[in-house]
Amino acid sequence: MKKIVKTRWFSILFWVVILAAVWEAAAFHVAATKRNPENILPHLYQIIAAAFSTQKVNQSMTATQLVLSSAATTVFRAALGFAIGVASGFVLALLMNLSGIIEKIAFPYLMIIQMIPILGMAPIILSITGSINVSRILIAAILTFYPVATNTLAGFKSVEKEKYELMASYAAKKRSLYTKVLIPQCIPYFFTGMKISAPMAITAAILVDTLQGDGGLGCVLSQSLRHAMSISVFWLIVFFSAFLGIISWKLMGWLEVMFTPQKRHLSKKKQTDGKDVELCTKEKNRSGKSFLKAGVLQR
Amino acid sequence: MTTVLYPVLFGILILVLWQTKTLHAILHTDTFTLPLPGRINAIIADNFPTILGNTIVTVRVAILGLLIGSAAGYLIAVLVVIFPTLGQGALAVTSVFTAIPIVALAPVMNNWTKDVSGVVSVRSAVSKIIVVALVCMANMSINAYRGLTEVKPFSEDLMKVLAAKPVKMFTKLRIPNSVPYIFTALKVGVPSSIITTIVSEYFAEYLMGIGRQIKENILMAQYAAAWAYIVTACVIGIALYALLMVVQALVMRNRKAR
Repeated sequence: MKKIVKTRWFSILFWVVILAAVWEAAAFHVAATKRNPENILPHLYQIIAAAFSTQKVNQSMTATQLVLSSAATTVFRAALGFAIGVASGFVLALLMNLSGIIEKIAFPYLMIIQMIPILGMAPIILSITGSINVSRILIAAILTFYPVATNTLAGFKSVEKEKYELMASYAAKKRSLYTKVLIPQCIPYFFTGMKISAPMAITAAILVDTLQGDGGLGCVLSQSLRHAMSISVFWLIVFFSAFLGIISWKLMGWLEVMFTPQKRHLSKKKQTDGKDVELCTKEKNRSGKSFLKAGVLQR
Repeated sequence: MTTVLYPVLFGILILVLWQTKTLHAILHTDTFTLPLPGRINAIIADNFPTILGNTIVTVRVAILGLLIGSAAGYLIAVLVVIFPTLGQGALAVTSVFTAIPIVALAPVMNNWTKDVSGVVSVRSAVSKIIVVALVCMANMSINAYRGLTEVKPFSEDLMKVLAAKPVKMFTKLRIPNSVPYIFTALKVGVPSSIITTIVSEYFAEYLMGIGRQIKENILMAQYAAAWAYIVTACVIGIALYALLMVVQALVMRNRKAR
């Protein structure tokens, strides 16, 4: 028994139960004092009941069907934008590492890009591209691009001088230096970037949905907020989008374990979960950034 | 020398392309949706008092949210260090909040804060501050926890050997050690607090704020005015980041030896 209490899962469960209890207590309070309690804070069982109810919320679909079908639209665009962003972020980091000039040009702009409210620009990007689908993919790609590029670059810069010297003493070609040393070493950093950006891509896709009415989670969300359909749909979407954000982040952790055998070994040995390992890479990342500055100075 | 020169040249190149409408040709757009830089500047200059008013609303929410969220996050980290068994789970549950899309959080908070005040501007600000605080809290708690626990090897043992009380352990060892980690968290927190504020303003009741102005101007098809607010938002972000760097340099000036 004591062993169970000490595990991580028990303490997570403990807090989830506490949060649920606080929610329910607040829901009882709201139900007693408000005229439309379901608008403010419905009971958890009401939300679950709404998920399983067979009542149709529009002409053809039940609440769950509607949420799932619009989520499919949103997630598909988010995933496409995410893939484009990851690919271009990686390529830019590679180019920046290959060429000092490109690095000098792009590095300050990478810092500035994160200050631009891309999500705030969504309507303008919509009017430039003219297509909601293209702008959805584009915005998800831009948001993904920045964390992936900076983290991957930090990964390249984290390679120790000794490794370069070793490869030089083998008379290794630049190509094999990259495939044997640099790219394997930057993989954990690359995944850290993806973990940061995956939930952002989902947020971006949902936000762009709210701008125009052609399906997607955000579109249904704003419709239900205006009471165009049952408010239970709103709560389902809130919970489902939170779930999507979390699952996209977890998915990157699982992919990382799949692609890095040494990490799999580590997690077996020390029972460290993805979180701790991710934090380690974030820390390395920090030192990587200062290393990066040093690299600029050396040149 | 070239480190400064190349990016500046690149920036000038983009501005020239933009002003000479070459950028418009590349993007297949017109000066209506992508106004020239000169026009954006003129709008900012003409409407300076209005823009300043909206800026104050946004910056106040972003900074208050960042401070409250970071303080709460730090407190959580301290509690996790004191009560490690249940704390680990709390840390995991908090970190989940970062993954929740702001678009889902903002309307919920609007509903929950309806009774806070009769004044729209106050209750709207409270709801936005809570959203920003939730987003910043997780980031700070994770970083602060690392700062409080990843102390130099043997320093913890040394404190034990000296029979230091737990409070001394915090004030002399853990808290000083966590300072650089606080800044790491804030560097992520500053841009994300501004973007979170802007996005939650889209859903807010109150009509002031940069995010709201971007949305309203676009709804009225005044793209040039919307661009003026976007530029303002970028300037705020860069200014706050620079401010953070100055504060960091001041606080950490005696720590160069690290």
